[in-house]
Amino acid sequence: MLWFEREVVGALTTTTDQSIRSSVEAFVDGSLRDWPEHLRLGVAAESVLLGTWAAVRRALGRLPAGDPAALRQQLDRWEHSPIGPVRSYVRAMKSLVIMAEHDMLAKGAV
Amino acid sequence: MGDLTTEVLVIGSGAGGAVTAAALAEAGRTVTVVEEGPWVDPDEHEPFSLAEMVAKYRHRGAGAALGNPPIAYAEGRCVGGSTEINSGLYHRLPEHLAQEWRTTYGIDEFSPEVLDAYADRVESQLSVARLPGAPPPSSAVLERGATKLGWRNVEFARVFSYDEAGRGTKQTMSRTMLPRARAAGATILPDCRVVDLVTRGDRVVAARCRRTHPGGGVERLTIHADHVFVCCGAVHTPALLQRSGIRRNVGNGLKMHPTIKVAARFPHPVDHGDVPMHRVTEFSPFIAIGGSASRRGQVAMALADTGQPIDEAMADWENISTYYAAIRSEGSGRVVAVPGLRSPVVTYSLTEADLSRLARGLVHLGELLLAAGAIELHPSVTGGRVVRRLDELGTWWDQVTRSRANLMTVHLTSSLRMGEDRRRTGTDSFGRVWGFRNLRVNDASLLPDAPGVNPQAAIMAIATRNCDHFLADA
Repeated sequence: MLWFEREVVGALTTTTDQSIRSSVEAFVDGSLRDWPEHLRLGVAAESVLLGTWAAVRRALGRLPAGDPAALRQQLDRWEHSPIGPVRSYVRAMKSLVIMAEHDMLAKGAV
Repeated sequence: MGDLTTEVLVIGSGAGGAVTAAALAEAGRTVTVVEEGPWVDPDEHEPFSLAEMVAKYRHRGAGAALGNPPIAYAEGRCVGGSTEINSGLYHRLPEHLAQEWRTTYGIDEFSPEVLDAYADRVESQLSVARLPGAPPPSSAVLERGATKLGWRNVEFARVFSYDEAGRGTKQTMSRTMLPRARAAGATILPDCRVVDLVTRGDRVVAARCRRTHPGGGVERLTIHADHVFVCCGAVHTPALLQRSGIRRNVGNGLKMHPTIKVAARFPHPVDHGDVPMHRVTEFSPFIAIGGSASRRGQVAMALADTGQPIDEAMADWENISTYYAAIRSEGSGRVVAVPGLRSPVVTYSLTEADLSRLARGLVHLGELLLAAGAIELHPSVTGGRVVRRLDELGTWWDQVTRSRANLMTVHLTSSLRMGEDRRRTGTDSFGRVWGFRNLRVNDASLLPDAPGVNPQAAIMAIATRNCDHFLADA
């Protein structure tokens, strides 16, 4: 999993239970590895582009560093982007995280 | 590197492959089944759980047909294929489709009577039954809403057997046809991926495979066979043929049932362990309304499709279940095996009429759920309005657009159609690939169109028919 993907997963995971957070990250990592190569390649490319964009915004002071809530707001904006692949990126990452986190919460144990 | 010789090689162990293996092994043929995925004890994981997705789904359920919009899809990848992960709903091929397909594609011996006879045989080999007793609340919702609106609805039979206490066991291929095949002498090789087929003139002479052993080692295996049946499903059957240099009408015309969802909140708890067995058929054959798997993870994912915060609704998640409207689509797609890539690229183009039909399906689904007593509806539309009253449903008409609709499917068909019209088909009327004497396809790829209902019954009946033809012919 790329650095920005890890950051996105962390921002989208809502539970404070560290073991569930780690399990969600591991699940997303495993899923991304298991994806069809062309989809994985596309998501990786977007992670680099969007991650770079976020880093530049942080350097300019327009996106607070180390603030998951700020990144989550940014992801919400991207989810409504006019650019299809950007929307798909957010939806895919959100689906993985939300599905995993809530399935694990339902089990009550990891 | 190993070598194996068999009379009949069946590639894939889902609804098509398992039926083929059982029919041919029981007819005395020497059969070897290879399956790319692992053997997983059918009782090992809870249905529709995350653990099951990891163990039994291809790409952990994350397939996607590229297009505008992209459409997510899920397939099984384990011994038994998608029969291990689906809801087990069973519906014979509608009579009008058999007649339409026979005429349009020139399919021999494809009358409703012939198909019904094969369906009878399949049903005698499986347990196809309705739920004993009252339906669970999530299913009763569909019946109640439809009855209030005066809409046709039906409880579908499922490929389930029930014990005296009413506990159901899904009759997956790993519990039914594959044990039959094995009892008749068939060999089943899990974790064995066929890389390509070796052809010589008009014959396939071998399959080149890579078999993964439990310790992680990979063995190259060549399987020599007199006859080869490819049964890998509508995505991977054409991909394997393309990798083997066979491309004529292969991978074109992919069809599916694009599906749009609603997470519905009720003032009372609904069950989450099973998939509703009622379907609303009022708008058939173009729109089908039913219920989806609704474990906590799936409910959360469905709620999140609106792009709005889900915490408040999730606090009440035990009162929420997910439902869908699925359409018969005018659009079509392609499967393309790209050299160097393990997974094929799948595309699908929805037409404007499809989008309109999805919007209509979503609105009807909303009407139904409100009539059934739902108090809040969350559509799988980014930015879609959360609806609480009938007069709010109208907003959904304009919200189902290419950029906002979140669509998925679990039914993929028609990537290698059968029939005697060689301009439009990849195989003859019985699945034999044009240009080859001993290569056959026997799975969902053969269906000329998506049938508007769960295709498992049609796949199994057609596979049985094709096996009879093979046995009479070979």
